[in-house]
Amino acid sequence: MLGASKIESSEYSDLTGVLRWFILLRWIAAVGVSAAIVVGRFVVGYDFPYALLVGVTALLIAGNGAYSFYFSVRKRSVLSRSEMSRFFHVQTICDYLFLFVLIYFTGFVGNPFVYFFVFHIMLTSFIFPKRTVATYVVALVAVFVAAAYGISSGILRYYPLFQEVSTETPAADHLGIRTFALATTLTIVAYLVANIKDRIEERGHRVELELDRYRSLDKAKSNFILQVTHELRGPLAALKGYHEMILKGLTGSIPDRTSEMLARADRRTRNLLNIIDEMIDFAYMKSEDDIDYTPVDLSMLDVLSYNADLCTTAAREKDIRIYVSAPKELVARANRDLLNIILGNLITNAVKYSPASTRIIVSAQEEEGEVHLMVKDQGIGIDAEDLERVFEEFYRARRAREIERDGTGLGLSIVQRAVNLLGGRIGVYSEVDRGTTFHIYLPKSRTQEME
Amino acid sequence: MAETRVLIIDDDQDIIETTGALLQFEGFKVFSAETVEDGIEKIAEVSPDVILLDIMFPEKKTRGFDAAAEIKERYPNLPILAFTAINREYAFDFAKEDIQAEEFVNKPVETEKLVELIRKYT
Repeated sequence: MLGASKIESSEYSDLTGVLRWFILLRWIAAVGVSAAIVVGRFVVGYDFPYALLVGVTALLIAGNGAYSFYFSVRKRSVLSRSEMSRFFHVQTICDYLFLFVLIYFTGFVGNPFVYFFVFHIMLTSFIFPKRTVATYVVALVAVFVAAAYGISSGILRYYPLFQEVSTETPAADHLGIRTFALATTLTIVAYLVANIKDRIEERGHRVELELDRYRSLDKAKSNFILQVTHELRGPLAALKGYHEMILKGLTGSIPDRTSEMLARADRRTRNLLNIIDEMIDFAYMKSEDDIDYTPVDLSMLDVLSYNADLCTTAAREKDIRIYVSAPKELVARANRDLLNIILGNLITNAVKYSPASTRIIVSAQEEEGEVHLMVKDQGIGIDAEDLERVFEEFYRARRAREIERDGTGLGLSIVQRAVNLLGGRIGVYSEVDRGTTFHIYLPKSRTQEME
Repeated sequence: MAETRVLIIDDDQDIIETTGALLQFEGFKVFSAETVEDGIEKIAEVSPDVILLDIMFPEKKTRGFDAAAEIKERYPNLPILAFTAINREYAFDFAKEDIQAEEFVNKPVETEKLVELIRKYT
């Protein structure tokens, strides 16, 4: 039987953990048994073969010590499955023997602690397949039946637990009923644990299947986004290229009026690109559950500069200067995409809603353990009645609509979502015709609680 | 100084035409290929100083990445500017670090920016 059956590891993927757990349980058992021996001998004064009991307990302590030593030595080299299986069998058999010896010499089935075998059976059921567990239960019951028979027929000596019955050997029916009760209890426990284990495994299997399905859906969605952006941005890129060629006079000189109209067409093309980006970010944010926001250490100066850079062309056309300021060493642990979404949107807005020849300040600094990001413009501002609604989905402020016809009204709602996902807060202050300032506070390093 | 030679590999003819014309206007010598295979052949033929590579070819989504690796294997010192349609990492099933390109450029790119990048790597 040794090593014949394999250990099931589906729920205990880390069997070495279980092994360590067993060793710990055995230490606890050793302490308990030692205490019981002391109480039995000195407090109650039962008449047991104490030398034998102490010997067996010493054996348990020595054995467990040897195990844990061997285990800690072998841990570095990974134990093979069959080695592991042998390990568990040896330990299980030793545990059974140990308890049996203790019980036999302290009242046999008359000792209520005989029901501690329930724990043995449970633990055995956890690590071994059903067939092996059945073998253990049958073997254990057989040993008990044999011992009961031996005692009742006078072959084996009886060590009674209670003094009053110490002189006589218990009747066969007395032993028989107790042994039978024990046998049925152990069998039922083994059966129940095996059943529960099956169910847990089945559920785990189902969860695994669901997860697989989600993963493939997530992948399909990412691919879809990739495909759509490619399809939409490709033609627009070409369109912009042709506008630029004509505007730069590569195809010959054109009348001023034509050039002016073409410039306007080009601006609308750029708007369209922004809208596509917003829709994609919006779709992305909506599916937040499936997405893994891996945080990385980001230099705030790099991130601010990168996003300010993306807007410089648009800013230069309006003679707007973007100032970036952040301490060189300021690093925040955050998701790069989310931060780019936030800053990209805010800076683009600032450029869009600022009159010519103004300034935009983009800054980051550490404040009381948080990172304080600020995007400040000298733009048209937001009306007080619009101010509390600007973060709503599809909402566009009156002044924004006047400046630009095209727009989804999604930009700031996306920004707010991204800030929330980063575990931060956002606030806005605005004065009509004087400018708008967005403040964002992000935790400096967000410990990921997603998992 | 000899003029900088740029090879554009992109399946979109319009992109080749417009980007090509704009770069020529900026004083670059421009070559082009519409497939990765042609592009790799062209490298030997025209020995470009820099490659503009669209990494989203429609026939096979990842063809562009393989192409970048292939080019780097044969011409380890040839800089590649990779064009992507999207600048968000979440849209990729892979890390940008896995792609052997010097720079990632979001499509469409401003000509000034592109010129700046080409100058940086040549």
